[in-house]
Amino acid sequence: MGSMEVKEIKEQILTTQNVCILPEVEDNLETKEMILNMGPQHPATHGVLRLVLRLDGEEIVGMEPHIGYLHRGIEKLMESKTYAQALPLTDRLDYISSPANNTAYAIAIEKLFGIEAPIRAKFIRTIFCEMARISSHLLWLATHALDIGAMTIFTYCFREREWLLDLFEMTVGARLLTNFARIGGVRCDISPEFVQGLRDFTKEFPSRVQEYETLLTKNPIWMERTIDIAQISGEDALSWGLTGPCLRGSGVDYDLRRDCPYDAYPYLKFHVPLGENGDVYDRYLCRMEELRQSNEMLKQLLDQLPEGEIISDDSPDFVIPTPPRQVEGAGSAASAFITLSKERKMINTGDLYSAVEVPKGELGVYVVSDGSGKPYRLRLRTPSFVHIAAMPALSVGHMVADIIAIIGSIDIVLGESDK
Amino acid sequence: MKIQKLIRDVLLIEWFRGLSVTFKTMLVKPVTRLYPHVKRQPFPGFRGRQALVRDPEKLKERCIMCLRCKTVCPSNCISIEVGKDENNARVLKEYSIDATRCIYCAYCVEVCPVNALVLTEEYEYLGDKRSDLFFTKEKLLSDWDEFLTNYPGDSYFNKFWRPPGMPEKMLTPQKRNEKPIEIKKKNEEIAS
Repeated sequence: MGSMEVKEIKEQILTTQNVCILPEVEDNLETKEMILNMGPQHPATHGVLRLVLRLDGEEIVGMEPHIGYLHRGIEKLMESKTYAQALPLTDRLDYISSPANNTAYAIAIEKLFGIEAPIRAKFIRTIFCEMARISSHLLWLATHALDIGAMTIFTYCFREREWLLDLFEMTVGARLLTNFARIGGVRCDISPEFVQGLRDFTKEFPSRVQEYETLLTKNPIWMERTIDIAQISGEDALSWGLTGPCLRGSGVDYDLRRDCPYDAYPYLKFHVPLGENGDVYDRYLCRMEELRQSNEMLKQLLDQLPEGEIISDDSPDFVIPTPPRQVEGAGSAASAFITLSKERKMINTGDLYSAVEVPKGELGVYVVSDGSGKPYRLRLRTPSFVHIAAMPALSVGHMVADIIAIIGSIDIVLGESDK
Repeated sequence: MKIQKLIRDVLLIEWFRGLSVTFKTMLVKPVTRLYPHVKRQPFPGFRGRQALVRDPEKLKERCIMCLRCKTVCPSNCISIEVGKDENNARVLKEYSIDATRCIYCAYCVEVCPVNALVLTEEYEYLGDKRSDLFFTKEKLLSDWDEFLTNYPGDSYFNKFWRPPGMPEKMLTPQKRNEKPIEIKKKNEEIAS
């Protein structure tokens, strides 16, 4: 329909009826940008993440992540609790790898107080950290593949994850929020059944990883969906503050487990997998190799596991923020605690930043202590928070469907980013 | 290389490789359980429903009202009311746990000097109302009896009463000498 015709019709209608609205037909057919809200209830955003997308057709022009739907004020809550009491709250940060979070917090407080955990405790903590890494990466692989369209892998990953969760339950009585580490050691010793169960797992696991790789790595659909998506160079990744597999996928060789070793990592031999292009596919390959490396580490840890105590004598009491809990010589149970409260020492003042490598990246804990037995300020540098900030840079220029792959590849947990 | 890739793409080799994995899994026994029909026994030390231990000899609660559990609780879910009887002795008037607040860290079980509190292996409990999950002293004690009658073993010892590997000097005398609670004997007593 030519524009002249329309004008004529318009004039006719306007003369007969006074009120009528017809669309203006313009010569240039430019479309406007569309604003699309993705989340917070979208199943592929891995939690309650809301993304405000600006779209030109199907192409992303701009994006703005909105976080805070899962904010529980963990940092502030910790200020009202003693150092030992605040430990269960760290479980709730990255709730799919809670032993790693516990360890990060425990190491920071140990450094602040000058406590040295016994060597066996260090090994047990490292075993749990690596188990948490495997279980976190398995959940990541399951959901990432499910989002992109590979459904079978989801059930396979949960099969192996169940195995690890059973081992967690066997030792500490909880499957998800383990609350395992403790300032100056661990809560319970591991049993011979646990060691045997973990040995069976490490024997079986490499063949399972091979299964996942058979299903995904060379699959044409998988490659189409992931190669050259959300590419980021090493310098960009560093300046955005990415850590963990997201940074290593871009080829930057940085791993806190090797670069500033903590706990039992100095005793282990492992190599840090690196990517080249820094796209979704490379991050996937990095994590798959990390699964194998963690499995090797578990084998080495079980072989080298020393005997000894699992908790340091200086470990602070749960109730009264002072060590040590000497109750020898006390007459009755009740009087023991009265003598306890007179001892008040070891609360160092000062501030400290300590970081460990959790499955998602670098989890830093900054503590300011004023000597009162409770943290004056506790700041958590959580990797997911930083990774979400880099999402606009990663996703501009890609299609809407790629957002799903990008969210999966940076492996976010909203409990950690919102704190 | 290109020809190889072309042949792979045309013959769908990678697809058939993936399918071989899934077909193999079809022949394996399923790992899932039909939950309401097949129930799973949790491992000893599982942190489930709260209960107050009824002393096998005195047949009342063991609590000595030291308030350590109330102080240590990170989520402030325990509330204790202490009263006095006619002899001016302290008695436990009320002991309640708000299970909707509890985070199941088992710190209270660990700090209790007389092992009066326990997180049992019971995991199937829910309520229609919030008040169903507010456990009073009587409810906590009856939960303990219910748990022991359904417990499959002969004796019960909670892991967090004395965590494995915990040095002796960190434990109170009663925690050091705690014996597993005999269940069969107790059940017979109740029956007679």
